[in-house]
Amino acid sequence: MGRVSTNEDGTRFQALVLPYLADAYALAGWLAGNRTDAEDIVQEACLRAFQGFGAFANGSPRAWLLTIVRNTAYSWLGKNRSSDLLLVDDLVSVEQKQAARRGCGGSVTPETELIAKADAIRLEAAIAELPLSFRETLVLRDLQGLDYREIAEVTRVPVGTVMSRLARARQRLVAAVATNGR
Amino acid sequence: MTISNDPSLIVHAYVDGELDAVQSLEIERQIAGDPTLAAERARVEALRSAIRERLPREAAPPNLVRRIEAAITSQSTRGGSHVSSRPSWRALAASVVLTAFLASGSTWLLLNPGPTETVADIVVANHLRALMATKPIDIASSDSHTVKPWFNGRIPEAPRVVDLGQKGFPLVGGRIDVIGRVPVATLVYQRRQHLISLSAVPSGALSSMAPVPRAIAGYNILSWTDGDIIYWAVSDVAAGDLGTFVKDFRSAT
Repeated sequence: MGRVSTNEDGTRFQALVLPYLADAYALAGWLAGNRTDAEDIVQEACLRAFQGFGAFANGSPRAWLLTIVRNTAYSWLGKNRSSDLLLVDDLVSVEQKQAARRGCGGSVTPETELIAKADAIRLEAAIAELPLSFRETLVLRDLQGLDYREIAEVTRVPVGTVMSRLARARQRLVAAVATNGR
Repeated sequence: MTISNDPSLIVHAYVDGELDAVQSLEIERQIAGDPTLAAERARVEALRSAIRERLPREAAPPNLVRRIEAAITSQSTRGGSHVSSRPSWRALAASVVLTAFLASGSTWLLLNPGPTETVADIVVANHLRALMATKPIDIASSDSHTVKPWFNGRIPEAPRVVDLGQKGFPLVGGRIDVIGRVPVATLVYQRRQHLISLSAVPSGALSSMAPVPRAIAGYNILSWTDGDIIYWAVSDVAAGDLGTFVKDFRSAT
């Protein structure tokens, strides 16, 4: 590589960040739980990205930006709402029991029909109630379309953990939306 | 990829297209023989399509873009003596392009403008512009028999359009891009939720001796010549996936 001009840096930053601002905003919104805080988080994340974009070399620019957004959101949550950062290990046994119970159920049709009918408000509420680590995994996969390897990179866990978190997140959503009515 | 031994987890990876051919066949066999797994698969698919339909992607609010621009500008002016000229130059350059982006009201991106601009730069800029537009395509269809005729009458020769849905690259549509002063056909394919732009440039239309970079700004690029057409594929999918796409496109009939 030869000399890199400042103009190239500027266009490169623009090319990296702007196409993914909507994704960054959506992820911040799901992590923080509201739009106002999401805007603050994205603004701070963009500044961090801007300061650090010289270090970005290869890979997916979207995963790179989302990693920064996630880290910023976590710092923000740690400062403002540390109770949200609780661990989820003790929730696992509850879910396994739920899953086992569901497994004995008869026909699948009514359940999938209920899922298919779930409206936006109900889905959003169910996602918002997921524990943070499940929520971010589900959002990155099912709303933003990252693959497992990218999610592992953004959330800094092994791919196997991504897989189990995703499965548990979905099982919880199903349990929330596939029960009859409100 | 490391795979868990729990088949109910593997069903999720299967629905997400994360398994290789051997693993996929194995879990399909298990699903066929186990109603619990079949039910899990049905639930995952129902949930995914409900999320896709009910919770569409939202654009970032315009005031947020303005705030970010302001924050970057103020950071660069506040920088003062302890910051070297390089970051503030970067800030200025970034804020200028952000301002231009906002002021123009359009989503046209000028990537590295000037006499050194190569075809690779332009195809990446076209791809980015398309990603940022409300619609990445002018004609939306997964049917090659709809997309191909759409180009007739708009450009001298309609491009070769192949259906790669079976290979995991469904056709999304097409658009007209401009490279230099030449309108060219660009097909848009999808890989999971990533888009791939494939421009077909008549080889006589542009002369470019510049070497083709493997990537610009994080976007992978592959170019090849087939008869009178030079193809340019651009995407943020992994380089390996883009290579597979090109191989599948070239071998498709």
